[in-house]
Amino acid sequence: MITSHLQLEHYLVVAALLFAIGTYGVLARRNAVAVLMGVELMLNAANINFLAFWRYVDPGRLEGQVFVLIIITVAAAEAAVGLALVLNIYRTFGTAEVDRVNTLKG
Amino acid sequence: MTATVELGLFVAIATTLLVSGAAVVAARNLVRAAFWLLPCFLSVAGLFVLLGAYFLAAIQVLIYVGAIMLLLLFVLMLTRDIAEPQAAAHNRQAGWAIVAAGLVAAVTVGVVSRYSWPLTLAQAPSDAGAIGEALLRTYLLPFEVASVLLLAAIIGAIVIARSEPT
Repeated sequence: MITSHLQLEHYLVVAALLFAIGTYGVLARRNAVAVLMGVELMLNAANINFLAFWRYVDPGRLEGQVFVLIIITVAAAEAAVGLALVLNIYRTFGTAEVDRVNTLKG
Repeated sequence: MTATVELGLFVAIATTLLVSGAAVVAARNLVRAAFWLLPCFLSVAGLFVLLGAYFLAAIQVLIYVGAIMLLLLFVLMLTRDIAEPQAAAHNRQAGWAIVAAGLVAAVTVGVVSRYSWPLTLAQAPSDAGAIGEALLRTYLLPFEVASVLLLAAIIGAIVIARSEPT
């Protein structure tokens, strides 16, 4: 796989590694804002994949770019609502750490 | 741009991306983690430029670096207890989370490097006008749905985040 040319696989591998880093952030972080940072890393990895496939498989059509635009929009909406929830949780529980918000735990 | 220069740029940008991404999830201080997002998002924009999607690279800088990172920092400043450095930044599942992330990486990289995609060598048209045309003609419905979603998110964020009505 090691060639002197930049190929689709290079982008896919980098995106896969970034996605795994984001997964670790979501699973291991205690603070809700840090969990959201992990989600943003995963969304960015998906965007790299969309654009890599657009560029190397079907550059004539614009689906890849339009998909990325929509994902960025949804990510912005998700960040706004998610952070508003974090603020409200902080006001209610006095903490923004997800493992201390366990009222529903049996 | 020759192939070697392109590959060198790609390696530099990808290394920056992965190192700063790892720093984002590993940093103990959350404000530092938020600032590590800056090189991370910028190198994603760099990859977009290498792929020929110049308009989306600009959008990435505007939305992610300009808006989302700022929003994250704002909420970090508003919820003060995260600034205390004594509290552990990771929970007890951190070890298993490394295993899970490693599995995700191994499976995805394995699949990606085995499968062969139908590649084309056509040059990519990279102009923002074409995207604008597509958004207002072919993809008008998703475009409008996205704008309604944004409106709902704005109203929802205000309603959720405001303090209790007196």
